[in-house]
Amino acid sequence: MTADTSRPAGWLTLRRREALTGWLFVSPLTLGFAIFFVGPLVAVFGYSLTEWNLLTQQSSWVGMANYTDALTRNPDFWKVLKNSLVFAAGLVPLNIAMALGLALALARPFRGAIFFRTVFFAPMVTAAVAWAIVWRFLLQGESGAVNQALALIGIDGPNWLRSPEWAMAAVIVTRVLKTVGLNMILFIAALQSIPRDYEEAARLEGASALQIFRRITWPLLAPTTLVITVITVVGSLKVFDHIYLMTGGGPENGTLVLAYYIYEQGFEFFDVGYAAALAVILFGLILVLTLAQFALRGRSA
Amino acid sequence: MTYHGTMIKRFITAGAFAALSTTALTGMAQAQDLRMTVWTGSEAHLDMLNGIAAAFAEDHPGVTVSFETVPFADYVQKITLQLAGGNAPDMGWLLETSAPTFVQAGVLAEIGETLRGTEGYDFDDLSQPAMGLWQEGDDVYGVPFSTSPFIIYYNASMYDAAGLEHPDVLAANGEWTWEVLAEQAATLTDPANGVYGFQSVDGEGYGSRAMHTLIPIIRAYGGDAWSEDGTCGFASPEAVEAATLYHDMIYGTEAAVPPGEQGDFFTGNAALTMTQISRVSKLDGVDFDWGIAPLPSGPAGDVGVVGQAAVVAFANAPHPELAAEFIAFMTNAENTATMSAFFPPARASVLSSDDYLSSNPAVTPEQMQIVAGGIETGKVLPDHPAYPQIEAAMRPAFDALWQPDADPQAAMDGLCAAIEPLL
Amino acid sequence: MRQHSPLVRACWYVGLALFAVPFVFPFLWMLSGAIKAPAEIFDTARLIPREPRWGNYLEVFAYQPFARQYFNSLYIAVTVTALTLLISSLAGYALARIRFAGAALLLIVLVSALMMPEEVTIIPNFFLMRDLGLMNTHAPLILLPLFGSQGVMATFLMRQYFTALPKELEEAGRMDGLSRLGIFWKIALPMSKPALAAVAIITFLFSWNLFLEPLVFLSDLKLFTLPLALSNFTDAYGLPLWHLQLAATSLAVVPILVVYVAAQRQIVESFALSGVKG
Repeated sequence: MTADTSRPAGWLTLRRREALTGWLFVSPLTLGFAIFFVGPLVAVFGYSLTEWNLLTQQSSWVGMANYTDALTRNPDFWKVLKNSLVFAAGLVPLNIAMALGLALALARPFRGAIFFRTVFFAPMVTAAVAWAIVWRFLLQGESGAVNQALALIGIDGPNWLRSPEWAMAAVIVTRVLKTVGLNMILFIAALQSIPRDYEEAARLEGASALQIFRRITWPLLAPTTLVITVITVVGSLKVFDHIYLMTGGGPENGTLVLAYYIYEQGFEFFDVGYAAALAVILFGLILVLTLAQFALRGRSA
Repeated sequence: MTYHGTMIKRFITAGAFAALSTTALTGMAQAQDLRMTVWTGSEAHLDMLNGIAAAFAEDHPGVTVSFETVPFADYVQKITLQLAGGNAPDMGWLLETSAPTFVQAGVLAEIGETLRGTEGYDFDDLSQPAMGLWQEGDDVYGVPFSTSPFIIYYNASMYDAAGLEHPDVLAANGEWTWEVLAEQAATLTDPANGVYGFQSVDGEGYGSRAMHTLIPIIRAYGGDAWSEDGTCGFASPEAVEAATLYHDMIYGTEAAVPPGEQGDFFTGNAALTMTQISRVSKLDGVDFDWGIAPLPSGPAGDVGVVGQAAVVAFANAPHPELAAEFIAFMTNAENTATMSAFFPPARASVLSSDDYLSSNPAVTPEQMQIVAGGIETGKVLPDHPAYPQIEAAMRPAFDALWQPDADPQAAMDGLCAAIEPLL
Repeated sequence: MRQHSPLVRACWYVGLALFAVPFVFPFLWMLSGAIKAPAEIFDTARLIPREPRWGNYLEVFAYQPFARQYFNSLYIAVTVTALTLLISSLAGYALARIRFAGAALLLIVLVSALMMPEEVTIIPNFFLMRDLGLMNTHAPLILLPLFGSQGVMATFLMRQYFTALPKELEEAGRMDGLSRLGIFWKIALPMSKPALAAVAIITFLFSWNLFLEPLVFLSDLKLFTLPLALSNFTDAYGLPLWHLQLAATSLAVVPILVVYVAAQRQIVESFALSGVKG
């Protein structure tokens, strides 16, 4: 600071120059972000108040009609919302439980640990499209590999992706298989940062493995668990390609989720206004979840 | 540099630009590229189309026509996105189900004037029933290039091995009914060898082509999807009887390939299938004998069902007039005859010609008669201005029908309840 | 593990191996289906086909401009990754190190966008791209990840990393007369290789997997990217060509898998870094 005051006086003080540099550094991102994210976000609110046909390009102001349509008139909306929540409620606990289990099994070094980590993480680097395509084959009614395997142990498997009872479960499980590797790695990283002494001390005092987990490991994992939960919940609400390719939202709209519903209404039925209203609802849902994360984080910190 | 100098420099630059762009524009006026979207990626189809385009270019120097393959599954959606995205193709193929939606949305160019004004076009030769969907009064919005009746393919080797009478023979005797088909399919089913009796349309008959599966049966029983005045016909006793017949083929006799399973006629895994004549190309080099037969009849008699595709020009495209000229060229008698090698034509003169009956080396003239007969008696698949929405509303209701323990009456009631508000 | 008996150890490995089946089998099945005849694909019991049809792999290229589509995916992913590294590290650095008015607000706005999926803004972006004349071009596939939640995520990740870097080295650089840009480029960036690697890997995979944007913005087969091309192996009548689809899927998946196995440790660490810090 003092060094700088000796420079010739000008409007460009160090502080101002710093500020200018700062803005220059962030300007490419900020500009693009404003144009391709903030602008569209504002626009989507506007669109949601219109009736707008993508094919004829005619639009008119309808106020809140799209929202009242969704909330009161269109039975599909509640089904879709329920599907989204069921999908999240099924996927998140399963994903986290499996990730934690795998992490506990693979966090300590042993011969083959790296190999198994690689295996469980492999679907993560595989295109979602590829994963969905292959699983769609494996889950076919009679000729699918899953049912052929089940038949070996005497179980007559259902037509997974065509059955209203099973399609959602099948979509959830295959999605978990695709993404559980990431959460497993995050848990492993967290587990490895827990000092060994804690567990050793507890073990010396005669604590069982279960007690150690409940009293020491689990509480120390809490911040990681929270982050993972939020990432997984939000990730589950934006799933699109997986469902698009595996079930197309069927059977009987049983796997039609919000992200897919937006696409369908906007780009398949050309109903831009209604799709925009749905997008606003998805926005609200995710905003609430994100804010809740920060509230929880703030409290735990 | 002075202010004055800057201005002069700007003028010069602007002038140069203007001159450049004018030359560019006049250049453009001579070299025009028409873009046409199609859903075929078949090399044979594209070669034929490019041949027609080359002939057109001979009369229209500087004009080129390029064909853009858009995948069939997303075709309507992709076209709509192009139209909405200000990137409209000049021309395109369109299916019958999209006709009312697109005509009423006003996105198709009127081409009737050009067609009628084109020397030697002979507009009246186009079959009137086929033109129905594409005309409003005197205005014409498309010309069908393919009017393709649904027919039955059968695996003659399997029939002979089982000692069953061939469907075309039965049809000639007036004994070819859906009940007979269901019975024969059940007999021919051979689970041990992975052989089903019947495959619905292209193996896609439960999803996007559920209508193709059901409408021929429903119409044979005297029902229909919906009527002009917007009444849903799926829940009628006739339609339910038809649906019950097919449901029983899937889950009762287990003769039909069930949803989500593979049993392809063209690889020898199904004894019978219902689809269109164009699929005959998939029989090239198969190791079994095959034949074709008309659709079975039902209580309502012989009822043909036709799938249709037309070529249209888009109103907001760069060259609507030139596009109309190209359509007039592409659908004139000579080119219709060329295209009839793949696509059953809507021109009476071509349909009845000997050339047409022998146009496809894989199909005998007698077999071709079956196709031609299907075109004459056939009724186009159901259509509606709100078809995209109706189709979506039908999807979950059809899913309910395809469940093993479904009650067809209840499922069809549900179907009507779902689509009635849209009709 | 050390203290366990061989029997327990054997059970342990058998258990893990069984659990690994649903993770490994899809890949095996895919590779097997890729060299089968269409009719043979569902004969799961026979993973090794009677007559391997290696020609399926060649046919893939005849049916679609698959090489071109492969290249599209590759160059788009590389472009997005390179630009993201540049733009996000610049912004991340400024948000971590430079004090300027509005920085706090900007950070809050960016953080709230961190979790927003592209489905929310896809419709307005459709019209925006139309007005910019970018329909049926690759520009939306580059711009939207760059400036959407993926770009924000990268920025946030870089910011977290820069914040944790010791300041002393930068101070030294400043004494030597380096400008901010110089400090960023010559000191901060070289020290951030782990974060840059993480951002690069995550961004590359994000772009490589992108599906909704190509689906909405591209109509020309020649412009398709891999995910879209893979879902599009149908014949002239819209009927699926399973064997080609599986061959193409194998071609799309295997190189990435090979790179992953080779760089396994680095990639896994990157993801760990991204999640815990983000």
